[in-house]
Amino acid sequence: MKDRAFYLEKIFSPKNVVLLTLGLFYALFLVFPVGVALVGSFHNWNPLRGTFDFAGLDHYTRLFRSPLFWQSLFNTLYFSVVVIAARLVLGLGIAYMLFSKMTKARGFFRAAIYMPVVTPLVAVSFVWLWLYNPQFGLFNQILGTRHNWLFDRNTALPAVMAMTIWKDYGYAVVLFLAGLYNLPKECYEAAHIDGASAPRIFWHITLPLLKPMTLFIFVTSLISYLQAYLQILILTNGGPGTSTYLSSFLIFDEAFVKYKFGYASAISFVMFFLIALLTSVSFKITYFGGSRD
Amino acid sequence: MIKKRIQSLLLHLILIFLVVLTITPFVWMLLSSFKTNAEINAIQSSFLPREFTFSNYSSVQSRFNFLRYFFNSLLVTLSVTALVAYTSTLTGYVLEKNRFRGRNAVFTLVLATMMIPWFVTIIPKYSIMLKLGWLNMYSALIVPAALSGFGIFMMKQALASLPNEMLEAGRMDGASEWYILHRIVFPMSRNAIASIVIFQFLWSWEDYLWPFLVINSESKQVLAVGLRLFSGRYSTDYGGLFAAAAISILPVILIYSLFQKQFIDGLAASSVKG
Repeated sequence: MKDRAFYLEKIFSPKNVVLLTLGLFYALFLVFPVGVALVGSFHNWNPLRGTFDFAGLDHYTRLFRSPLFWQSLFNTLYFSVVVIAARLVLGLGIAYMLFSKMTKARGFFRAAIYMPVVTPLVAVSFVWLWLYNPQFGLFNQILGTRHNWLFDRNTALPAVMAMTIWKDYGYAVVLFLAGLYNLPKECYEAAHIDGASAPRIFWHITLPLLKPMTLFIFVTSLISYLQAYLQILILTNGGPGTSTYLSSFLIFDEAFVKYKFGYASAISFVMFFLIALLTSVSFKITYFGGSRD
Repeated sequence: MIKKRIQSLLLHLILIFLVVLTITPFVWMLLSSFKTNAEINAIQSSFLPREFTFSNYSSVQSRFNFLRYFFNSLLVTLSVTALVAYTSTLTGYVLEKNRFRGRNAVFTLVLATMMIPWFVTIIPKYSIMLKLGWLNMYSALIVPAALSGFGIFMMKQALASLPNEMLEAGRMDGASEWYILHRIVFPMSRNAIASIVIFQFLWSWEDYLWPFLVINSESKQVLAVGLRLFSGRYSTDYGGLFAAAAISILPVILIYSLFQKQFIDGLAASSVKG
């Protein structure tokens, strides 16, 4: 009997259980779905009609000719660039202010600034929908206007960006602050002894040392903003017209509103490829010629 | 000296201004949820409610049974979080402390899962749920979320600093691998597990698209989707909508205020090796 228990324990060891679980889980919820999506992107695939007919490259040629695809791609890049730039600049600037020896109640400021990051995006988007309301919204009350921010082509996408920046900048503040605390003190002491000015120390010592953290924030932001759609769904639903369509929202729309699964899968793969490409390019640029730290 | 004083004053004024900007939307939401609809829509409205009313909260509950959504969210989120905490620790332990061929390949696969955007897999995953007959079941919300690439990554990093001697000592005493895992590894990685619990809780709590797709009965729906359903049905009852949003946001802020240090430390830890 002792032998049997011994073998059972060998067979059901943590290692075997983990490998079996990972294998099954990723086969079912990752490898298989990616495969099906890839194959599906070459088919007319509609679950409501039950069709799955071969369409060749039709979806890909169609999407590259579709003005809406290009518009949403442009919007996505515009949205990502603005929000990421704001996140990095605000994040670093405010982290530097909190890092200053003069600052009191640092913990309080940091906690308050990080608060929007933890709150649920759907509910927060609704609050901002009402903040922008032309009748009772707080922004119009403060400005004394009755502007319909989200129904105006010129202000709709910037309004969504403003909300996203407000929600997420605290993430970069906390990470940059952690980065600043982890910097080697010797570099600063040496620079002080050499009589370097504060701005020079910032540009020539602090900023280069924060490069890995900046890259980390940049890449995680890029990956998440290229997939953003929820704030669009709640705030503008892509409108007015199609002026605030982001690529991920377009995929959502084609798949779960129009049930064109094949076409939506084709857009998904193009976006997936773009995300992978941009991520690896940012790694290459950051470390081009430099050491890995 | 005076220059220093002015600098410090300016610095704190900017920071206070930022904090005001950051929390005003929440304060405005909370105050508005105590206003009557007539007051919200009035031409001359004030920031503070003229008369406090709790009727928005009671009417949201009586018309829409918000508590039901709340408890569904809580049930799903707690189940997913507990599962992810366990599977992440178990997997992180095996990938960090067991030596076997292909270990790095497995870890690379786990990392790669974090790079796949939601939109690539969501349509086939939906079809799988359909085939398994899991549509409109809690299992559709819980099982596909039971493993987290991020969680495994975090636990593997954290367990790297767990001394091997502790595990060896356990093995010398004849403890089984499972006993070591449950009695040594789990208690010693409490902080890392706490970070994962926090992140996973927030992610599951705010998840919208997946429950929106796979759950079609209101009695099983979660809070994030419920909020949008409510706004679709009572689109002009702004008092009720403010109350509904407050019910979704305030518990999170409350938990955050209690554990904010763990929230922030957890985020910082996730990036140190990044």
